[in-house]
This record gives sequence, C-alpha cells and structure tokens, in this order.
Amino acid sequence: MKFFSRRLGLLAVLCLSEVVAATAADSKLVVAMLPKAKGNAYFLSAKGGAERAAKELGVELLFDGPTDTNAAKQNEIVENWITLGVDVLAVAAENKESLSTALRKAQKQGIKVIAYDSDALPDARSFFVNQATPQGIGYALMDEAARLCDSEGDFAIITASLTASNQREWQKHIEVRLREKYPKMRLVAVRPSDDIKDQAQSEATALLSANPNLKLLMAISSPGVPGAAEAVKQAGKAGQVKVIGLGLPNENKRYVHEGVTNSIILWDTDHLGYLTIYAGVALAKGELKAGATSFTAGALGSFEVRGDNILLGKPVIFNKANIDLFDF
Amino acid sequence: MSDDPPAAAFAWRKLLLRYETLLLGVLVAEWLFFYFAGTTTNRRGVVVGFGTIDRQFDILRHSCEIGLLAVALTPVILTGGIDLSVGSLLGLCAILFGKIWHDGGLSIHAAIALTLAGGALAGGLNAVLITALRLPPLIVTLGTYSLFRGLAEAITHGAVTYTDFPGSFLFLGQERCLGLPTQAWGSLTVALAIWVLVHRTTVGRSLRAIGFSPEGARYAGLPVRRHLTLIYMIAGFIAAVAAIIYTARLGQAKADAGTGYELFAITAVVLGGTSIFGGTGTVHGTMIGVAAIAVLKNGLACLPAVMRLNAAEEMSGLLTGVLLLAALTAGVLPKILSGRRGRLPASAKT
Repeated sequence: MKFFSRRLGLLAVLCLSEVVAATAADSKLVVAMLPKAKGNAYFLSAKGGAERAAKELGVELLFDGPTDTNAAKQNEIVENWITLGVDVLAVAAENKESLSTALRKAQKQGIKVIAYDSDALPDARSFFVNQATPQGIGYALMDEAARLCDSEGDFAIITASLTASNQREWQKHIEVRLREKYPKMRLVAVRPSDDIKDQAQSEATALLSANPNLKLLMAISSPGVPGAAEAVKQAGKAGQVKVIGLGLPNENKRYVHEGVTNSIILWDTDHLGYLTIYAGVALAKGELKAGATSFTAGALGSFEVRGDNILLGKPVIFNKANIDLFDF
Repeated sequence: MSDDPPAAAFAWRKLLLRYETLLLGVLVAEWLFFYFAGTTTNRRGVVVGFGTIDRQFDILRHSCEIGLLAVALTPVILTGGIDLSVGSLLGLCAILFGKIWHDGGLSIHAAIALTLAGGALAGGLNAVLITALRLPPLIVTLGTYSLFRGLAEAITHGAVTYTDFPGSFLFLGQERCLGLPTQAWGSLTVALAIWVLVHRTTVGRSLRAIGFSPEGARYAGLPVRRHLTLIYMIAGFIAAVAAIIYTARLGQAKADAGTGYELFAITAVVLGGTSIFGGTGTVHGTMIGVAAIAVLKNGLACLPAVMRLNAAEEMSGLLTGVLLLAALTAGVLPKILSGRRGRLPASAKT
C-alpha cells in the first residue's frame, strides 16, 4: 500500500511538472486549426503551409480534425479547444450551421475565429480566407483553354450536374470571359457527369464522336478531369484534343505525364494554410480589423480583402513542368 | 440488521468489493488525475482545461447520446440479447425528425412525438423478428443495422442535411436548464426509469431469468416473448430520444448521425459490469461505465502532451480498449486466484 501511495505521489509530481512546463511554454499564442478530415492530402498540404507560418510567427499550432468528414466530431473538437482556452480557431466547416453554434460559443469567450476553405456562417467568424472566387476560377480556366487552342476553335465543358451551384457560377464567368476576349472560340456543348468519373468518360466519348472538330475538353468537376482524359486516351486523340480542368494534382498526374491532360487548375493549398495562420494571428493581435482592404502575410506578400473575405488570389496552373512539386 | 455489528460490517465489505464500487473508484481516480494533470492557466490568465465547470458540462453533453443507448442496451444484454441497430436507428430517427419537420411542415412537438413513435416501431420490428421468428438477436439486429442506416441514406439520397431548426428546439441540446445542460435532465430521467424497470420491478427480475436460461424462464411461466418485445421496443424508443438530443446539440440532422455509437454503447455496458452472456448486470454500473469512458476521452484531450501530438481521438480509443480489457481481466482474476488458492493447500499436503 505504502509502495503504491509513493508511486502515486511520484506520478502526481511528474504530472504537475509537466503542467508547469506547459504553462511556461503557453505564453505563446495558441492557434488551433480544424480541417474537414485530418488525413486528407488537400488539408495536409494546407497544414504544411500553416506550420511554416506558425514557426515564422512564433505561435503554437494545434492541428486536429475528424479522421473522416464528420460534423459531430468537428463540434466536439472545437468545444474541446474552447475549454482549453486557445487564442485563435481556424476552421474549415463540414456543415455551416452545426459548426457555427460551437464557433459562436468560442467568440463569446474571446477566442478569435477565422474560417478557411469552407466558410462558416458570417456571424460565427470574423474573416473567411477565400481560396478562389468564382470569377478567378472561371477566368483562369477560359484563359488557359484559349492559350492551348491559340484562341480559336470549338471546345466543350463537362460539368458536375446541370444544377450544381458552384459549377453554374464558374460556367457563368467562363462564358463572360469567352464573349469578351475570345470571339473565335466556340462553346459547343455543356454535359453533366454527376460527379462520377465513369459518367464523365462516357459523356466525353459521346462528345468526341459528335464533334470531330473539337479542340479541347474542359472538365469543371474534379472527377470529370480524369474521366475526360481517359475518354480522349481511349479514342486515340491524345494531344489532338486537349484536356484541362479543375481538380487535384494527384488524381491527374498520370494523365499529365502521358500527355493526355494538359493542365490542372486549382489554388495552392499550402499557401491557403499559410495565409490562414497569418490572418488568424493578426486577428488575435488586433492587427487585422473589420474594414481592412489588404493584408500582408509574411513571405507571400499582400492579399486583397473584400468585405470579410481575404482572397487567396489567382488559381495555380499545374502542368507537366510543376505538377510533381505538389502532393495533394 | 444494523444493530448487529458483524453483519453490518459484512454488508459494507460486500458493497465495497462490488464491481460497481470498484469501477466508481477507478472513475474517481481518473477524474482526479485529469483534474491535476489537465488543468492549466493560459496566456490570458484564465484557468482552462479539465478543471473548469464548462468542461464538466461538455463531458455531460457529449455523453448523453451514447449514455442513452448504453442504458437502453443494458436490459437487452441482461436477457442475453444484443441490439446492434441502435446507432443506425439514431441516424434514421434524426432524418425522420428532420424530414417530418422540414418537409412535412409539422410543428416541432408533433415531429418529436412521431419520431419517438417511429423509434419504438423500429424497435418493434427487431422484437418481432427475434421473438416470432426465433432468430438470434445478433443476426436480426445486424440486418436492421444496415437496413436503418440504408433507409436514412435513401431518404436523404446521402446528401440532404436538415438544418435551421428554431432556437427553442436547439435549447434542448445547447443551453442550460436549472444549472445543467438541458439534455442531461432528459437523459437522467430515462436512465432512472430504466433503473426502476430493471431493479425494482418483476419485469426486471424476469429479464435476468431470461438471461440465465430462456427455456427455464419459459417453463417457469414467464411471459418471455412479451418482455423481450417490450425491451427491444424501449431500445428503439430511447434511440429516438437520443436522435432528438443529437439533432438539437448539433443543429443538424444528417444520415451519418450516430455512426458507430452502438459499439461505444456496448463497450460502456460491458465495462459497467453487465455480462455479455446475460443474467447479471446493473443500470448504475452502465452509467458509471459511460462516465469512465467519457472522462477518459475528454481528459486525454486536456493533457498538454497529448494535445501536442494532436492525437486525442486515437489515444482515447486505445485507452478505452485498455480500460475495458483491464476491467474484464479484473473481473475474472479473483476467481482464478481463489481457484489457485484453493488448490494450493491441497498440493502442500502431498
């Protein structure tokens, strides 16, 4: 019995010393970053940028999230962070409404909240780091298509579904850019793929046989890009019909190296994480306030702030030359 | 009895050595450990971590749904049965509730009432398959486990999430009432009702008899089918209660609600001292089991070392497993030891 109590005492001392050590180190600002899923390559890449920013700023970064996308777990993790008294929460919401209830609670306790990648409700966060505006995406896609086709010829779009709100928004900006800048190009068809690769492939095959003059396929849903590429490859039209789209570099590396897909367009997730942490810390220090029109984030320089959105800026174009530098 | 000192001392010793008492000791030790190791003062000079009242309420809030399912499963497991479908049923009921309120245009009260009825009905489906067709509960509820989740996904096409519930409903899951989180009152009431059923009624006694020997119980003239039907329907009903609380806590109803909860609940029941073969177990043991797991999970997330690893979730899963295995071992160890002690003098003689 005595032996046990001595042991327990030792254990308690050990724990206390750990607490003391932690308190001393905790004079650093603590930023907690919540991804939608913590094993997802997209968010791991954002975490890389966030870690770099945290190191530069001398803050402590906590990064935790559900192992798979799960709104309930996100809430539990945020509530945990609230009672741990972190200084800043940077979150990508799986579900706006449900996460916002926890975020409002955090704000009531003086914790600064910033959303990234996927916004919370406006009253539950101070700023949203917006990775891409519909206009930025639409213009980048159209410009890249025109560059590959020398600004003339027929092209077709493979979308998610004809009613998907994101895609419709992007398509609107693609068409605006087309009308304004590229009069010799013609959009011959917009086909749905329901976000399924196989369906994108069969739609693309149908488009290829119906439009012999087609110069380019543009897929604006991420499963659509490898689907369109597979169709072009099987039709033996690689190089003759170009393929571009909005997607993850890793899903498309193979086709890019085979010369089937020409370019992938997406934002730089590493920069997204970096900017988010810089903005979060500036918010906590009172350097970033409502009404700001620009924000400077360390090595990345200045970013535009529009309302309560901090804009990450232009999307990145991934092609044969640079796609291997990215892993998400 | 009380004026007979040796008998009173014996009763005390018996109470102290009871499994539930020991588990309560573990819970208290766990709590004290996290209280001292998981409480800190942050940069702004505010006390944060495990030792805050908010934290204790969070533990309570987060354990309500699993606690309800565990309480519902206790009488089921007492009879030697099992209900694997409660987690899926929670998901189905959440969707049902969202659909009735959002698409059906009924009031929140009506939606709650219909959802509770739906839960009991779904539990009734389990009961009919088990009692009328005499299929093993494990197989039946494995089937409904997929069926209920599949239905929830079919209704929402796996995509629809019901949100925008009125504030008066969210009060149920997010606010405090009379000093405790609102849902704690509901959960404690349900737990108390089940405790009375199991420990203070003849139904409870017959559930144990069924657990020891279903055939024997039948020959003894106990209404086995009726009692089984009752407890599976209660399990369904309680899963619906948990669904309402879950929806109110998160402010959303989605088809993946409660995924995997049945396993957490079974863990808590077994940790609480209920035999998976039926016959023995208590509702209060289950509740201590739920608390022990909840405190472990929440406490770990407060430890600075675990926090830095960003692995609270994985760590709590791992340690819950260790805790359960340790408890099971501790349960059989005295028997093995006393068996050996009994043998020892005999071998010493020779």
